[in-house]
Amino acid sequence: MDNQGNRLYLNFGNNNDRLAATDRSTYPTTPSTFPQPVFQGQSANPGGAQQPQAHQQGYTSAGYFQPSANHFGAQYPSQLAPQASDYSSAGQGYGQARSTTPGANNDPNTGLAHQFSHQNLGGAGRASPYGARGASPGQRPRTAGAQGQQAGYSSYLNAPPMPTQTAQADYFAPAPERNPDKYGPNANNNQKKCSQLASDFFKDSVKRARERNQRQSELEQKLAETTDPRRRESIWATGGRREGSYLRFLRTKDKPENYNTIKIIGKGAFGEVKLVQKKSDGKVYAMKSLIKTEMFKKDQLAHVRAERDILAESDSPWVVKLYTTFQDANFLYMLMEFLPGGDLMTMLIKYEIFSEDITRFYIAEIVLAIEAVHKLGFIHRDIKPDNILLDRGGHVKLTDFGLSTGFHKLHDNNYYQQLLQGKSNKPRDNRNSIAIDQINLTVSNRSQINDWRRSRRLMAYSTVGTPDYIAPEIFTGHGYSFDCDWWSLGTIMFECLVGWPPFCAEDSHDTYRKIVNWRQSLYFPDDIQLGVEAENLIRSLICNSENRLGRGGAHEIKNHAFFRGVEFDSLRRIRAPFEPRLTSNIDTTYFPTDEIDQTDNATLLKAAQARNGAGGASPQEESPEMSLPFIGYTFKRFDNNFR
Amino acid sequence: MSNLFSGINARLRGASSKQANKSPVSPTSEDGRLNSPGGLPHRSKSSSNLSSKLPPLPTSPALSQTISTTSTGDEVLSSYRLPQPLPLWLNPAYAKHIVRGNFMTLSSRPKAVDLGEWMAHQVVEHYRNLWNFVHVVYAKEVNGSNICNATTCPRMSAGPNHSYTWLNKKGDGYERVELPAIEYITLMQRWISGKIDDTNIFPTDPASVSFSHNPNVANTALLNSPDEWVGKRSGFPKDFASICKTIFLQMFRVYAHLYWSHYVEPFYHLNLEKQLNSCFSHFVLTATALNLITPQELEPMQALVDLWAANGTFPPESKAYEYANLKAGNRLLQMGGMA
Repeated sequence: MDNQGNRLYLNFGNNNDRLAATDRSTYPTTPSTFPQPVFQGQSANPGGAQQPQAHQQGYTSAGYFQPSANHFGAQYPSQLAPQASDYSSAGQGYGQARSTTPGANNDPNTGLAHQFSHQNLGGAGRASPYGARGASPGQRPRTAGAQGQQAGYSSYLNAPPMPTQTAQADYFAPAPERNPDKYGPNANNNQKKCSQLASDFFKDSVKRARERNQRQSELEQKLAETTDPRRRESIWATGGRREGSYLRFLRTKDKPENYNTIKIIGKGAFGEVKLVQKKSDGKVYAMKSLIKTEMFKKDQLAHVRAERDILAESDSPWVVKLYTTFQDANFLYMLMEFLPGGDLMTMLIKYEIFSEDITRFYIAEIVLAIEAVHKLGFIHRDIKPDNILLDRGGHVKLTDFGLSTGFHKLHDNNYYQQLLQGKSNKPRDNRNSIAIDQINLTVSNRSQINDWRRSRRLMAYSTVGTPDYIAPEIFTGHGYSFDCDWWSLGTIMFECLVGWPPFCAEDSHDTYRKIVNWRQSLYFPDDIQLGVEAENLIRSLICNSENRLGRGGAHEIKNHAFFRGVEFDSLRRIRAPFEPRLTSNIDTTYFPTDEIDQTDNATLLKAAQARNGAGGASPQEESPEMSLPFIGYTFKRFDNNFR
Repeated sequence: MSNLFSGINARLRGASSKQANKSPVSPTSEDGRLNSPGGLPHRSKSSSNLSSKLPPLPTSPALSQTISTTSTGDEVLSSYRLPQPLPLWLNPAYAKHIVRGNFMTLSSRPKAVDLGEWMAHQVVEHYRNLWNFVHVVYAKEVNGSNICNATTCPRMSAGPNHSYTWLNKKGDGYERVELPAIEYITLMQRWISGKIDDTNIFPTDPASVSFSHNPNVANTALLNSPDEWVGKRSGFPKDFASICKTIFLQMFRVYAHLYWSHYVEPFYHLNLEKQLNSCFSHFVLTATALNLITPQELEPMQALVDLWAANGTFPPESKAYEYANLKAGNRLLQMGGMA
């Protein structure tokens, strides 16, 4: 059997691979040849769903042998179907293995593993090529050496009695019926980890190799641009050092001790955000540390992961940049860019209301930011002023993808049903009790609003958070989509122009009720004169999902009359209406640091552990990266660390 | 710990058809690495043994041709003295992956990067990957036992033909200790992580990072230093390459044990065999490309290497492909009905 070349393509069979192999002399990191996760859709032969052998062909030869594969599919049933059915019951186990997979497929945690299962029919796949060749030996010429042999096999396989069907199965140990339940819960837990880690590894590796390759061609281009030997040497050395440093960074465990804390700039139930400075190079970052046990208790894990994913994947100016994530036994750490301008909540607390022009600027930027997030395939679901940060130039960036306070259990409808039906879950005596009834709010009771505003920050830092900006469909559990973020936009716009969010109430419970009954409760105060277009835009956003502007895409909102004259494409380049005035790169003027307890969580946690007499970690204890919920959390970006 | 580890030994356990020229033990080499049982992967002996187990083939004109083409593959396979029937992981239907494409893209060194730096990177990446799987067999269940335990795996072995002993330093010499696989693996893990975490061996200071020499970019100062070793200019120690070799060899043995003893229990049952295949094939490609493992050392897994060369997992330009016997690989594909 000497058709090695064909084998290669047969098994790996997409066109890219074929290209890669024919051009062996080139640097093997040609982008088109990068390994890809195998998805069902890529490999399944369309239309072949009823025929296992078609799947097999689809997998092995998509593209390359496509016509033949189709041919097989057409030929197979009449020629070999009886044998195939004999075969699957012949005890080799493929048929059985397959029959168990539907159950496995229902488990979302089996990850990529199950995606192949329906194609993994060694038996049927085995039979089809022979059968096809037997049926049409002349139609598909192959490597000369292989031809005769295949013909031999095909006639042999087509012989009426099929003793070899079972005999062939005996070559290999039979595949038993898969039984993941034969192991205990730990093994199944580890199964998820393992599957996740492996697919993460390849996903990350491919991404890195791709980017590395890109940088390599940039370097070569630079080399080609000059003949000056010293310049060339320096280009080469710099490139090599950068790549090398990145590799070193990848295998080095970062730890909080590598950073000096300058100030705590935010604090919440799940953790805190600190302004830190890296000891080795003096660079300034915002470091968010999250307490693992709290995340665990409060079901935040999926959200932490979601945030890590979105930030790691995005490279958008509208999304806060994540440099690296790391973890130790107690905390998850996210090292992010420090945005010295503070957040929109702080701005709103300070200025109470914005003019229509200023509102237009921020709302337009938020539109672009939400659009950017949607383009990444994410629904933010928790757009609110606290999550809208302002960079050095006063431009908007979104943060808090999924772990912001109050986001927990957002998917859990029962949680909201309870809130809607039951009594208030907030202990009133703990907070400033401010009797705000939306209907009665006028300018005259702005002092009460100020009370609300003060409690606003407490609310933001609590685990419950504020529901003020959340769309009703998220509570009611009838499903939601990207347009829920546009509802939030409407509520923020309302707050910018009116001074409070449209459904603000004394406690969350009332707010939920108001949001769900938005038709009755949305009220524009008489004494605040909103522009017709502004009010129209708000009403087009705060409405039922079916009619909501933006449902068909962000352009619907951009085209609204309120934004007439706004140049969206250059918005980020114009001067913002409010530019932070800073004295240094560690200026925290725009953060309410006075209101934040400056004791950090690590200190508190260590003290608590000391009290509990928690012993040292046993040597066999797994590394923090390996504990299931936090797998894949660690992330390292090349960009800005080494560029 | 390094003493304890330094003499991990490999020896051949008596198989029924034991070959006379195999000595059980090779002496410890200087770097603490021992040769695995000698023998070339492509030996072909006792070819007739297997053919008697072949299914009876109906006579047809093309049949003789078939046999004559395939019998060499059978010969090669039989020389591996694999158990019959062959392990499930040699069935091409179960030798698949969670990724497709050219794995070489992940293991080829970026041109400007220092070789030592690249080796260090690969060691750490593969170490993390491997322990991801070891973790599964480590898992303590409610009854307090691991999947891999002293009863299931009383020795660190890779199939019927290979088992490995641990060398404890004793007095001036070494004492060979046969350990349950789980204990062997635990000791090895500690040894490897001890190396990886030692910043004298795996430096982490970004300041010392260097780059690779490129003759096309004039760099005369770096040319032909008489006392050059891998990674020297990036701050790696003189024995760095040999440490990496030991680590890769040890990791290979763990993979081999996972395949031979745990492929079905638990990986197949847990739907993890494709993940294992992908990580291991990537491991073999990397280890061979960087000369961190020799063809001889691959022996316990030779048939799988052959199969992956034949089914395209290992691209023809790879060292792993070079080390493979395609006849054996193609024969396996044929047996699995995938030729």
